[in-house]
Amino acid sequence: MKGRVFVPFCCLEFMTKIHQVQEVVRSMIGREGSQFAAQQQLVTADLTSIIIQLISTAGTLLPSFKNSSLPNNNGSLIGSDIPSSDSTKASEYEELIKGLSSAGDEGDDLMKYVNACGGEGADSVLAEDDAVDGDNLPPGSYEVLQLEKEEILAPHTHFCLICGKGFKRDANLRMHMRGHGDEYKTPAALAKPSKEISSEPVPIKRYSCPFNGCKRNKEHKKFQPLKTILCVKNHYKRSHCDKSYTCSRCNRKKFSVIADLKTHEKHCGRDKWLCSCGTTFSRKDKLFGHVALFQGHTPALPPVDDTKVSVVLDQVQNNDLMNGGSIGFNFGSASDDVGLLDIKGDDDDRGFFSPMNFDSCNFGSLDDFSRPSFEVPESSFSILPGSYNYVNRNGS
Amino acid sequence: MAPHHAHITVLPLDLLIYIIDRVPEPADRKSIRLVSRAFHRAECLQRRDLNVIRREALGMLIRCYGAIESLDLSACAGLDDACLSTALGGGAAPGLRKVNLSRASGVRWSGLAAMVRGCPRIESVDLSHCVGVGDREVAVLAMLAGLKELRLDKCLGVSDVGLAKVAVGCPGLEKLRIKWCLEISDLGIKLLANKCQNLKFLDISYLLVTNKSLHSISTLGRLEVLKMVGCYYITDDGLNYLKNEKNCNTLLSVDVSRCHNVSAFGLVSIIEGHKSLRKLKASDCYVDLPLNCLSKLGMLTNGFHTLKVDGSEVSEPRLKIIGANCKGLTKIGLGKCKGVTDENISELVSNCADLKTIDLTCCHDVTDDSLIAIANSCKKLESLLLESCSLITDEGLVYIGTCCPNLQEVDLTDCDLDDSALESLSRCSELMKLKLGLCPSITDDGLDYIAKCEKLQELDLYRCTGIGDDGLAALAYGCKKIRKLNLCYCTRISDQGMKYVSCLPELKDLELRGLTQVTSLGIVAIAFGCKNLTELDLKRCSAVDDLGFLGLARYAINLRQINISYCNISEQVLIRLLWNLRCLQDVKLVHLTHVRKEGFMLALRSCLDKLKKLKLPTILKDAISPALIQILQDKGCRIRWVDKPIPFYMKDSPPSSPDP
Repeated sequence: MKGRVFVPFCCLEFMTKIHQVQEVVRSMIGREGSQFAAQQQLVTADLTSIIIQLISTAGTLLPSFKNSSLPNNNGSLIGSDIPSSDSTKASEYEELIKGLSSAGDEGDDLMKYVNACGGEGADSVLAEDDAVDGDNLPPGSYEVLQLEKEEILAPHTHFCLICGKGFKRDANLRMHMRGHGDEYKTPAALAKPSKEISSEPVPIKRYSCPFNGCKRNKEHKKFQPLKTILCVKNHYKRSHCDKSYTCSRCNRKKFSVIADLKTHEKHCGRDKWLCSCGTTFSRKDKLFGHVALFQGHTPALPPVDDTKVSVVLDQVQNNDLMNGGSIGFNFGSASDDVGLLDIKGDDDDRGFFSPMNFDSCNFGSLDDFSRPSFEVPESSFSILPGSYNYVNRNGS
Repeated sequence: MAPHHAHITVLPLDLLIYIIDRVPEPADRKSIRLVSRAFHRAECLQRRDLNVIRREALGMLIRCYGAIESLDLSACAGLDDACLSTALGGGAAPGLRKVNLSRASGVRWSGLAAMVRGCPRIESVDLSHCVGVGDREVAVLAMLAGLKELRLDKCLGVSDVGLAKVAVGCPGLEKLRIKWCLEISDLGIKLLANKCQNLKFLDISYLLVTNKSLHSISTLGRLEVLKMVGCYYITDDGLNYLKNEKNCNTLLSVDVSRCHNVSAFGLVSIIEGHKSLRKLKASDCYVDLPLNCLSKLGMLTNGFHTLKVDGSEVSEPRLKIIGANCKGLTKIGLGKCKGVTDENISELVSNCADLKTIDLTCCHDVTDDSLIAIANSCKKLESLLLESCSLITDEGLVYIGTCCPNLQEVDLTDCDLDDSALESLSRCSELMKLKLGLCPSITDDGLDYIAKCEKLQELDLYRCTGIGDDGLAALAYGCKKIRKLNLCYCTRISDQGMKYVSCLPELKDLELRGLTQVTSLGIVAIAFGCKNLTELDLKRCSAVDDLGFLGLARYAINLRQINISYCNISEQVLIRLLWNLRCLQDVKLVHLTHVRKEGFMLALRSCLDKLKKLKLPTILKDAISPALIQILQDKGCRIRWVDKPIPFYMKDSPPSSPDP
């Protein structure tokens, strides 16, 4: 959609910019005799801004340019999704500037670059989802490759021919090779191998999953090919392998691709809305919608913290302790309370105020009384409404 | 056993139960229980409801009364998880249907879980005002599949998740109160309406919910009562949902009081949508009631009987229109309404002869003419509230007294009446509740008249400085049924008056604030005489000393609330008081100048596991050990710290400074 309007417009802009450059250069040549420093600066500034604009225009042109140059395109510019993410775009620009600066066949250089950036080197850029196909190439317009299971699951794909050590990346292998002798230190040996075969047109490669019956397997009726080797690896692991990586935070979610686990761990714990069926939601309203829909599902409560449980236990212990303590803490006949019918309500036979026996009273951890400062009168006082014998010992 | 009792002992158990079935009074039942073992056994088997006050007795009582269906633990001091699970967890009361755990703030999910396991047939649970209750507790209750009624007022921790648990777990829920559960939002209400289609009663007062909730509620096909007091975010559009849905036209009672964003249009929506409405409350909405809104009241059926529009503008023809359209009205609330005049009142009551309750609180323009009109029209009047209607006199009350024989409740607070007014009222033999606060002209002669109202249960004489001991003598002689008596600041009353008050056998609630002439002798008399006393306020009774409090400690054993702020009580007596009063739950101990911090700590420790509410001065906040405060709070006690200066007359006796 975007491309259809965008491409001609960009081309037009490209043309006008080039015309501007031509004009500036022409004017410079005209004034060669009488040069003023100020004017020169002005011209330089003009040129720089135009060049920058040129580069950016060329950059936006890049994706559509690639598509339009493909054979058997059927003129479909619509599905031109940018295959790489933003982070690679910056490097694309750099490459492009190089390509522009070296006078040569521009179109081919671009193609070279585009083809190269697809497969390798994108390891860090966790290849989107394997469902993202990019273009819908008609069958037969590409070469289908099928890697074997062992090949897919192999930890290393590049092996040293001398010592047999394996590497994930070709570049690392080349770095390793330097240690095996001076012949591996030449610029030719260290250069990217892909650059050497760049002159020939590269046939389009698509990949098939080795798993029989899989939609990504070439025998499948509605076969959908995988785009890169990385896609194959991720697809195979996700769909046909055990999920061996468990999230260390929730101990529930499992993954077969480490990158997926890492992505999950970034968000794990934020999905705080949990249903009794185990489904998690990042939003409360989604959870409640789910609960409303399914019979018997309820929102789950967060598990009881271990700390909380221990607090509860502590309380229970404290309780016992206090109860035990209150027996020593003998204000009256404490035991006669227990088991009495409350409804009676009029048992007046409460005990006298016996002296508080502090030594037998165990407050446990609560023993923060400043005992010396509080002297309890030794003599117990008996109180009856008629005889008021109580002597206030407070001051003593 | 004496031979002449022999014929009672041979009665079989089923006959005894049959007899006990016919004894409603608790005191009589107690006598029956004490006759013999067989009688006690029969009473145990017959009893269906139980109100337990002391935690220690709970387990034994449950084992004894295994047939109970209703258990009230709201007054059980110090109730905690361990206690609840040992009492109910073992299935000792399998038939339990109804549990009241209101204000049982020490109960948490583990205790409730044990209760749910032991009594799976519980249908009604009241957890109101357990502020610590949260989703986990409610989730435990949601395991009661047969739950029909749930009260969660002010369970501050309950959120949408807890509500969802109940909604899913208890599809048969009929009554739900979630007043003040501020965490609950529209989402929870939506799910509730989706899952609990049998809801008949819903109270969402003070929730921060919006019109979306009303949209969900409007799908409840059986809803009869909807309370949404103080729902600030609900507007007329929300009430319109209630009208539009065809499903929901069963509402009988709607309360939109304090919904400040509701106007008369919202009320019209309710009236138009629910023709069978019986109660409509729209107090303090500050709405101006337009005439067309009031005329819509005529669309309602004759069953419409209660209208409350406190604080609204009801000038000229409005009350007349109400009267003309709602002839069956039995209750009308016009408190603080603007524009209430004698003419308006007479136009209203001339049409509504069935009025039983009329609230004219703070309608300052009302005079005797209104009372005459009310007396002439409303012969069935039961309750008349006239607080601050200062223009009324005894002439108007004469008519009320002669024409309204059914009058049960009269509020004359701040009306500045004299004895002759009470003479008029004394003809109302059914009078149960009388408020005469701030009427200093009333004297002992007036109380002589009141003494003729034998059924009086509540009497408020706040700051009636004209009354003395003789008046109380008359009261004690005539009104034996008094349960609640307020004598605050009636400064002429002395010990002799207290001796008269102590002859009121049913007295439960007594307020004696600022009675400076009452000494320990009077208090001991009260403690000895009023066995049922549960609440006592002795604030600023400066003449009462240790003897009085020791008397309370010994005799007033059913006391649950006590206020002894500003009293002269010593450390030892305070400890003894708090220790001995085993039902004590609510204590106010502000400015006890003779008690040192160690005394406070010892006193508090002595009643550690029964207190629910405690009021202390802020000075003690740092003095009392944090561990003690923590334990109190863990056990469900709420501590209120008050910061008030010690009054000058108490300063000459400073608290003995703690020794270093």
